[in-house]
Amino acid sequence: MAQRAVWLISHEPGTPLRGTVRFSRRYPTVEKRARVFNGASYVPIPEDGPFLKALLFELRLLDDDKDFVESRDSCSRINKTSVYGLLVGGEELWPVVAFLKNDMIYACVPLVEQTLSPRPPLISVSGVSQGFELLFGIQDFLYSGQKNDNELNTKLSQLPDLLLQACPFGTVLDTNLQNSLDNTNFASVTQPQKQPAWKPGTYKGKPQVSISITEKVKSMQYDKQGIADTWQVVGTVTCKCDLEGIMPNVTISLSLPTNGSPLQDILVHPCVTSLDSAILTSSSIDAMDDSAFSGPYKFPFTPPLESFNLCYYTSQVPVPPILGFYQMKEEEVQLRITVNLKLHESVKNNFEFCEAHIPFFNRGPITHLEYKTSFGQLEVFREKSLLIWIIGQKFPKSMEISLSGTITFGAKSHEKQPFDPICIGETAYLKLHFRILDYTLTGCYADQHSVQVFASGKPKISAYRKLISSDYYIWNSKAPAPVTYGSLLL
Amino acid sequence: MGPLSRDVWAQRLGAFRASPSAFMAGPEAEDLGRDLLGDLRNEKLSEQTKVSLLALSLEYPAQLWPDATAAEVAATSLLDTLVLLPPRPSALRRPLLLAATTALAVGGALGPTSGASCRLLPLLLGLAAGSDLGRGFVPASEQRPLQATACECLRELESCKPGLLGGSLGLLRGLLGQEGPVQPLSLLLSLALRNTLVLQSRAGAGLGALLTARVSPTAGGPWDWALVEEGDGRLQPQAPSWPAAEEGDGERSLTARGHSPEEVRELRAAVAQLLDTSYLLTPVAQAQLLWLLGWALRGLQGQPPALFKPQLVRLLGTAQLTLLHAVLALKAAFGEALFTAQDETLLLRRITLAAQHPALPPSTHLFYLHCLLSFPENCPLGPEGEEAAPLLLGPQLCRGLLPNLLHEPTALLARLHLLCLLCAEGEEEEEKGQLPSPGHYLEELLAGLWQRAALEGGPRALATLCFQASYLVARCLAGQPTVLTPLIHGLAQLYRARPMLAPHFVDLLDQVDPELREPLKVVLRQEVVSRPGRDEALCWHLQMLARVADGDAQSATLNFLRAAAAHCTSWDLQQGLLQVCRALLRAGVGGGLVDLLQVLARQLEDPDGRDHARLYYILLAHLAGPKLGVALGPSLATPALASSLVAENQGFVAALMVQEAPALIRLSMGSHEVKGPLPVLQLLPEALEPIYSLELRFRVEGQLYAPLGAVHVPCLCPGRSARPLLLPLQPRRPAPARLDVHALYTTSTGLTCHAHLPPLFVNFADLFLPFPQPPEGASLVFFEELWDSCLPEGAESRVWCPLGPQGLEGLVSRHLEPFVVVAQPPTSYYVAIHLPPDSKLLLRLEAALADGVPVALRTDDWAVLPLVGDYLRGLAAAV
Repeated sequence: MAQRAVWLISHEPGTPLRGTVRFSRRYPTVEKRARVFNGASYVPIPEDGPFLKALLFELRLLDDDKDFVESRDSCSRINKTSVYGLLVGGEELWPVVAFLKNDMIYACVPLVEQTLSPRPPLISVSGVSQGFELLFGIQDFLYSGQKNDNELNTKLSQLPDLLLQACPFGTVLDTNLQNSLDNTNFASVTQPQKQPAWKPGTYKGKPQVSISITEKVKSMQYDKQGIADTWQVVGTVTCKCDLEGIMPNVTISLSLPTNGSPLQDILVHPCVTSLDSAILTSSSIDAMDDSAFSGPYKFPFTPPLESFNLCYYTSQVPVPPILGFYQMKEEEVQLRITVNLKLHESVKNNFEFCEAHIPFFNRGPITHLEYKTSFGQLEVFREKSLLIWIIGQKFPKSMEISLSGTITFGAKSHEKQPFDPICIGETAYLKLHFRILDYTLTGCYADQHSVQVFASGKPKISAYRKLISSDYYIWNSKAPAPVTYGSLLL
Repeated sequence: MGPLSRDVWAQRLGAFRASPSAFMAGPEAEDLGRDLLGDLRNEKLSEQTKVSLLALSLEYPAQLWPDATAAEVAATSLLDTLVLLPPRPSALRRPLLLAATTALAVGGALGPTSGASCRLLPLLLGLAAGSDLGRGFVPASEQRPLQATACECLRELESCKPGLLGGSLGLLRGLLGQEGPVQPLSLLLSLALRNTLVLQSRAGAGLGALLTARVSPTAGGPWDWALVEEGDGRLQPQAPSWPAAEEGDGERSLTARGHSPEEVRELRAAVAQLLDTSYLLTPVAQAQLLWLLGWALRGLQGQPPALFKPQLVRLLGTAQLTLLHAVLALKAAFGEALFTAQDETLLLRRITLAAQHPALPPSTHLFYLHCLLSFPENCPLGPEGEEAAPLLLGPQLCRGLLPNLLHEPTALLARLHLLCLLCAEGEEEEEKGQLPSPGHYLEELLAGLWQRAALEGGPRALATLCFQASYLVARCLAGQPTVLTPLIHGLAQLYRARPMLAPHFVDLLDQVDPELREPLKVVLRQEVVSRPGRDEALCWHLQMLARVADGDAQSATLNFLRAAAAHCTSWDLQQGLLQVCRALLRAGVGGGLVDLLQVLARQLEDPDGRDHARLYYILLAHLAGPKLGVALGPSLATPALASSLVAENQGFVAALMVQEAPALIRLSMGSHEVKGPLPVLQLLPEALEPIYSLELRFRVEGQLYAPLGAVHVPCLCPGRSARPLLLPLQPRRPAPARLDVHALYTTSTGLTCHAHLPPLFVNFADLFLPFPQPPEGASLVFFEELWDSCLPEGAESRVWCPLGPQGLEGLVSRHLEPFVVVAQPPTSYYVAIHLPPDSKLLLRLEAALADGVPVALRTDDWAVLPLVGDYLRGLAAAV
C-alpha cells in the first residue's frame, strides 16, 4: 500500500522539454521492498529527466505525432485507466498512476507486493487507490483558494515539509495536506480524549454552522425524433462547522418540497457516521417510480475543522430549466441560424447571469453578420468565430426568446480558429451558461430548524443555495449530433 | 573540507537532485555523505538548511551511504546528533528519527548485532510508549508528534523486518487502550499482528501470551529477532494480491494451526478494538487497516468475518476511492462469508454508481470501471484473471456506462470494452425489452469514430483512437459476422477518405486474428488497385499494397503497378513499388510480373532500383515457385525445404539489401599535417572485424567548408595497422567544425552495411598553415610587414597565455614550431599563421613570467579573435 515515488510535473507546451519536474520525492525503504517483491521483474525508479520524457510521451504531450510510432500508436496498446507503463531505458516501469489537471501532471508509482510478470490486475494492488488519493490530496492543496502563480509556487515550496508529515515513509497517513500544515500549528494541544486523526485541533470561538447547496444542471437537447433530450442535476452540499469540543455531533437533514425531485446516487463524506438504507439504495440506475424515497435525508456526522463536502447527489427533475432549439443551415457562402429558448415557468426568473455561447468550429473568422433578436444583446468575437448572446437577469414575460441571423466566414487559418473533431459540417451546438442564486432545481433545502448540534452553546446556522449550468448543450437539430446511449429511444 | 555555507549547500543539493547519477560520478560524490553528517552539528547552519540535508538523506541514503558499514556509521552519527540537541523545541528531532530509521533499513544494517539498531529501537519504543526518557530529551510540546513519528518508524522497520515487533503486541494494545495517538498505534499494531499471525504459525509461539504480555519498554527490549529469523527475513505482503495469494504458502499455513479458545478470544478482542476506533483514522489509514486485518484473518479458525460487518454500511456510502477499494479487498478475501447475495448486489450497484458519478474525477471513474470488470464475484463463471462483466451487471445497470463520442480516449476505450462485453452476451438474448440494442449502438459509435479519423488535418491521436477501438471490437467480438461485416466496410471507407493512415492499417492487419485480417485485406486491396495509380497518396497506396498484395486479383494489381511505375520518380516511391513486387514474388505471382520487372529494370531512374528490379526478374525467371519463396525469405508455404536452406537463403535475401549496422569501424584523428596549400586531416581507421570496400562519407555541419569528397579503403583488418587516410579541408571560413561521418562497407559474410560513426571535430588549430619561408636574414622584416599589414582593417589584442611546467620554450616547440618566423629562445618568439582561405594570425610571445606569457596578437579577420583567445588559454592544459 506504499508509494515508491511521487512527482509533480508542470506541462509547458511550446518549451523544448514540454514540461518541468516541479516536485519529486522517492521512498528508498519502499524501493528496497519493491526490489525483493518484484524479483526479476523489478524496474528501478528512473531519475527525474528520463521519467519526465517517458511520461510526456506516453500521455501524448510531446506534440510530435506527425509520424506513426508503434510504441505509442499501435492499435493493441490500449489504456483503459489512468495507470500507465512507461518505457524507460528499455524496460517498462509499471504501474505509474498519472493524470493531468490544470496543466499539472500528478504521478506516483505504487508498490506492488509480488512479481510483475504476469501483471496482477490493478484491483488487487492496494497502493493504486492510495496513490490516487495522495495525488488528489496534493491537487486539492495546490488549487484550493489558489489564485495566481505566486501562491502556487509558495504551496509547491511547502510540499516537501508537508509530505514529510503526511507520507513520511511512502505509506500515506493523511491526504488532507492542509491538516498536516495545521498539525504543526496545533502541535502543543494535549487532549485527554481520543482525537480523530483527521482533526488536528479543536475550534475555539463562537459556534456556527454553515450549509451551502450547489446544484449543477447539465443537458443535451436535440429537438429530434427518435432521440430523447437528457438532463441531470448534480448537487454538492458543503459544510463548515465551527463548534467547540473534540467530537461534536451534528445531524443535518435535507428536505424536499412536496413536488420536489428525489435525490439519488448519494455519496457521503467519510465523517458521516451512519446512513439510512433508503439513502444507500436510492439510485438513478433503477427506473423511477412513485415510491422513491423523498426524504428527509438525514446525515449524522462529526465534522472536521475545515470546510468539507458533506455529500453529493444527482437528481432527475421532470423538465429542463431552459428548453431550446437551435437550427443551423449552410446556404452557399453563409450560415443561417435560428435559436429559440424557453424558460420553464416553475424556474425562478432571476438570474445572476444568463448567456448562450454559439461557437463555429473548423471555419474561418466571422466576416459578416446580420441578426435579429427578440431580447438581450449579441456580442461578436470575429477572430474566435464565436457569438455570445447575453440574455441578462430575466427572461421577458412570455418566457420565450429568439435569435436569428446569417453569418459569413473568411478563409480558415489554423492558429486562431478552434479545431473540433465533433463539430464537422453542420454538426454544431450552442452552450448555455447561467446561474441563479438562492434556488435549487430539485427544491432541496437544509431546514435550519432541523439541524441538530450536540455541542456546548447554541450555534448560529446559515444556509445558502444556488443553481449553476454545466455542460448545457443544445445541438443543431438539422444535422447529426453525438448521442448517448441514454437518449436513444426505440 | 570545513563547514559549508547555506548557499553552498543549496547549490550542492540542487546539483545532486538534478541528476544524482551524474553527481555521484563527479568529484564531490565521495565527501557528500560525510559532509552532510558533519554539518548537521554545525551551529552556523540554520535548522531549515539542516532539514533540507536530512530530506536528502531520506531520499537517497543508498547513494550517500552505499553499504551496511557506512549506513551503521551514519545512523550512529544521526542518533548522536539527536541526543546532543539542546532541550528546547526543534524541527530536527522528527527528521532525525526518520533519517536514522531510513539509513538502517535501506543500508541493510538493521540487526541484533548493530549498535545503532540497539540504540534506535528502544528509543523508538520508549517514545511510542510516551515514557519519560529523562534529561528533558523530549520537550513537552513535541511529545505527541514524536510519539506518532516513533510509531511510524517502528512500522517501517516492521515492514522491512516482519516479526520484529512480535513481542510488543501486548504493549501496543495497552497503549492503544490508554490515551496513545489512535492512528499511528492502530496501524502499527495491525501490521505487527498480521506479521505475527503469518510467522507465528511456523514459530509456534503462543499468540495469546503475546497479545497479553505487558513488556516494559525499558527492560532489555522485546525485539523478536527470533521471529524475524523464522521468516527468513522474507518480506510479507501487507495487502496480498488476489488471486495470487491463493497459492501463497504463508496464507494457507494460517489455517493449518489451530488456536486455543483463549487465543481466539484474545485475537477477536484485539481486532474488535482496532475496528471500533477505526472511525477516528483518516480514510486512507482506515483503508490500510482493513486491508491488513482482512487478509490477516482470512481463513483463520474461530474468526468470523462478521466482525467487519458493522463498518460496511458506513464505508459503502462514501465516495472515497481507498475505502471502496478496501471493501472490494474484503469481498475478495471473504466472499460469501461476509457478503450475501444481496450484499453483493448492493456493492456492485454502488461501484457502478461511483464509476459514473458526475461529482467524481475521471480517473476515479476509470478505476471503478476496472473494478467492475474485475469484480470479485461470489460465484464467478468465466476464466480467472480475464476482464468480464459480472453476471449481475446487465444492460439496465450499464446504461450510464456506455461510451459516446464526447468521451476522452481512455474513457471511451474503457466503456467501449464494456459495451463489447454486453454485445457478446446479448447475442443470445437479443431484443429483451425497452432498451435499444447494444449492437446497433456500437455500430453507430464506430461510424462516428471513423468519420472523425477521416477528418483532413485531424490530429493523429484521433486516428489512433479509432484503430484502437476497431481492434478492441475485433478482439472481443471476433466470432460475430454482424459486427465484422460493417467493421470491414467502415475501415475500407476510412482508407478511401484518408490513405495517409496506411501505417495504422498495416499495424491493425498485423495485430488482428485471421477472421478479420483476411477479408479486410481483400477489401483494402480492392480499394488501392481501383485507383488510377497517380494519386498524391501513391506512397501510402504502395505501403498498403505491400502488406495486402497476394496471389489473388493479380491482373488488377499489376495494372495498378504499371500505371504507378510512371509516377514513381523519387527513390522512396521506387522502393515502395519494389516492395510490392517483392510481396507479389513471394506470393508466387508469375506471368505479368515478369513483364513489369523487365520494364522497371530498364525504366527506373535510380540505379539501385534498376538493380533490384533486374534481380527480382532474374530470380523469377530462373527459380521455380518453392525455391523462389525460400530465396525471398522463410515462408510457411514452403515447408518441404529443410531449415538449413532457409537459413542460407535468409542470408541471401539480406545480401540484396543495405543493412543498417552498428559501427564496426573506429576513426581517430592523427597528427596535424602542415604541408601544402590546404589543411589536411589525418584519420586513423581501425576495424573491429575485417571489412572490405569501405567508403567513408563526410558532411560538414553548417557549410563552413566546401563539401568533402568520400574516402575509399579497399580493405581493413583488425589488429593490422592501416595507412592514415588524408582528408583535405577547404575552409570557407577559418572556424572549427563538426563532421558527420557515415560508412558504407561490405562484411566478410558479403553483407553491405551502412553505419553512422561518431562525429569528428576539426579544431581551430587543425586549420593552421605556415607562411612560405622568407629568405635567410629577412625573417624579422617579413614578420614586421605582415604585422603592419593587419591594421587598420583587422584587429589587435593581448592575451595572457598560461604556461605549464614546460615553460615557454616547451609550449612553442610542442604547438607552434612550424609557424615560428623569428625565434630568440627561450624568451621571445614571433609566430605567423596562415588561416585558410585567406586570413592571417600573428603572435608575439615575449617576456614570459613563471606562470604565463603575455601574447600580443594581430589578425586581419576580427572574427577569429575569440577562437584565438580560447586556443591560447587552452595551450597550457593541452599536453
